[in-house]
Amino acid sequence: MKDPRGRPVIEVRNIRKEYPIGDETVVALKRINLNVMRGELCCIFGTSGSGKSTLLNQLAGMEKPTRGEVLIGGVPISRLSEQQLAAFRQRHLGFVFQSYNLLPNLTATENVALPLLFRGIPRAEREAAARKLLCRVGLSHRLDHFPRQMSGGQQQRAGIARAFIARPDVVFADEPTGNLDSKTTVEIMEMICTFARDYHQTIILVTHDPEMAAYADRIVTLIDGEIVSNQVNKKERVWHEA
Amino acid sequence: MKRKDLLRICLQNLMRRKSRTFLTVLGVLIGCCSIVIMVSLGIGMRESQERTLAQMGDLTIITVTAPQGGRGKVKLDDGLLRRLRGMSGVEAVTPKQTLEVESIRLMTGTGNRYVAEWTTVVGLDLDALEKMGYRMTAGEQARRAGDVIVGQYIAYEFKDTMRPEGRNTVDRWSGTWDDKGNLTNVPDPYFDPLKGKLTMEIATQAGKVTEVVTPVGMTKEDYSKGSETSGGIIMSLKDLRKLLDKVQGSRKKALPYDSMLVKVGDIAQVAEVEKEIKTMGYNTESMESIRKPMEKEARQKQMMLGGLGAISLFVAALGITNTMIMSISERTREIGIMKALGCYVSDIRVMFLSEAGAIGLIGGVVGCVISFVTSVVINLVSLGGFSLENLAGAVLGGEEVSRVSVVPPWLLLFAVVFSVLIGLGSGYYPANKAVQIPALEAIKSE
Repeated sequence: MKDPRGRPVIEVRNIRKEYPIGDETVVALKRINLNVMRGELCCIFGTSGSGKSTLLNQLAGMEKPTRGEVLIGGVPISRLSEQQLAAFRQRHLGFVFQSYNLLPNLTATENVALPLLFRGIPRAEREAAARKLLCRVGLSHRLDHFPRQMSGGQQQRAGIARAFIARPDVVFADEPTGNLDSKTTVEIMEMICTFARDYHQTIILVTHDPEMAAYADRIVTLIDGEIVSNQVNKKERVWHEA
Repeated sequence: MKRKDLLRICLQNLMRRKSRTFLTVLGVLIGCCSIVIMVSLGIGMRESQERTLAQMGDLTIITVTAPQGGRGKVKLDDGLLRRLRGMSGVEAVTPKQTLEVESIRLMTGTGNRYVAEWTTVVGLDLDALEKMGYRMTAGEQARRAGDVIVGQYIAYEFKDTMRPEGRNTVDRWSGTWDDKGNLTNVPDPYFDPLKGKLTMEIATQAGKVTEVVTPVGMTKEDYSKGSETSGGIIMSLKDLRKLLDKVQGSRKKALPYDSMLVKVGDIAQVAEVEKEIKTMGYNTESMESIRKPMEKEARQKQMMLGGLGAISLFVAALGITNTMIMSISERTREIGIMKALGCYVSDIRVMFLSEAGAIGLIGGVVGCVISFVTSVVINLVSLGGFSLENLAGAVLGGEEVSRVSVVPPWLLLFAVVFSVLIGLGSGYYPANKAVQIPALEAIKSE
């Protein structure tokens, strides 16, 4: 994806999202404007019900906004067809989910290789890449294990490997440590930061945990579907100390 | 997504729920079996019907005769012969002329010791004999003037004038019947008709006419052709015409033939050819008038049986749909994840369609194997137990073997294709449901 100098990787323009519930309409997002630069770790912070998950859905093209548009690398993803969106996800987007979301009937290696499988990359090639990445996240002893044979932390590490295997431009992480203990949380966050720094990738991190926000370069705080603060985190980055 | 990967994922998913897959496949299998076996019984029924008809007479031969009191142009002459030969679908035509005399005696052997008091003498186009379905059991085709072909059992017609009356014939029915209904230990006749000459003595108003002929071939007995194949004499039309001239003293010049036999190449054209000859004003006779209603009835029965089989396959189709819907609702989240990771919508559709198709394919193939074995077993039982000879008959059939259940290759192919189509058809709705699952499902927390 082209990244003209000075142009943000993600541009959110006047997004509004409404949900019809019965006869009433609930407004989840009101007029959101946001720019995220390449290589930034942007944290979308808010309590539950603040609209942060809804915003993530719009950013990742999971839902279409009622009004406004989202551009990733200049591409208006809110206007792509299903087929175009799938191709766009294959090339440019990665996901880390709160509940890991590994496919239960695939081994760790097969799970990590999945985005490459959808791109039609031959088995030997994609599984070699998957194994390499699994070793990097410290799962060299779990290559052929199924998700149910792994701990939560291990599953999430496989999930991170899966998100990064196709070298996406943007990785969306939805409460990636929500189900993990504090020690594992630190491990996982540092892993995400390391990957992002190595490949100069952009991370969108959604969380309600202020500690997590500390890792971010930019913290966007949402309350009731509106951005109440958007500040660059000047603090010395935690992961640099490690 | 590569096709290989799609196939592997499809098989993996089928293997995940082994018992459910097995039960669904079982449904298709039973449906497929019932179609194949039902239709095979129908085909078997039709085959044995055709065989019965064929025993009654060759199905593709039309006998043409002149109408009673026919006058004018409606004659069985050489002009008609040429017209019939020129008709499309007609493979061969022969006139048939029977020697009609008041009495005829046959004599042979040393000093004419063997005598037969009556025989049938028929003139035919000898070149057309084979096409007309006359089978030779011994000897060769008659080619020279004076050569004739005799019926299979002509020698039994003779009595030995050197033996006392009452014990001077050989009875060809005097053997013993075995349990299969075949006559065995038939005594040999006094002589071999193919060795030596035959003397015909024909009584006419003018006196006796004697003609010596040389039997060179022997036809297999076939009642549908006439008694000449059993105890008579077949000669060329030219020889018979000469003989007639002698007998009748050259009174008539161009005699019309008694009848004409028309051999049609394809059984499907018999009706058409017969109709055409009828419109020319001739009387015709063939097995078509019997065959048609019989065939119609057989087809109706076959449709009925096949329909019954198809019902069970449609029930199996509901089973496939049900299985697929269940598996999709179980895998809603997985489909969402796959979409979020960039799986094409078309790949998801193909994934589920191929799962349903694979259930149909497996059920169809296994069902065909099972129904083939069942069909062979049914045939073995009807043929009276297992033996190598019966096994060959049960599988391949044959001229003499009447099978209860006939499974032609096209039926197996049809059953497999039909099962796969049923699978795909019943997977269509679930696959569309799967495609509509949004990527958002991946993010929803349980």
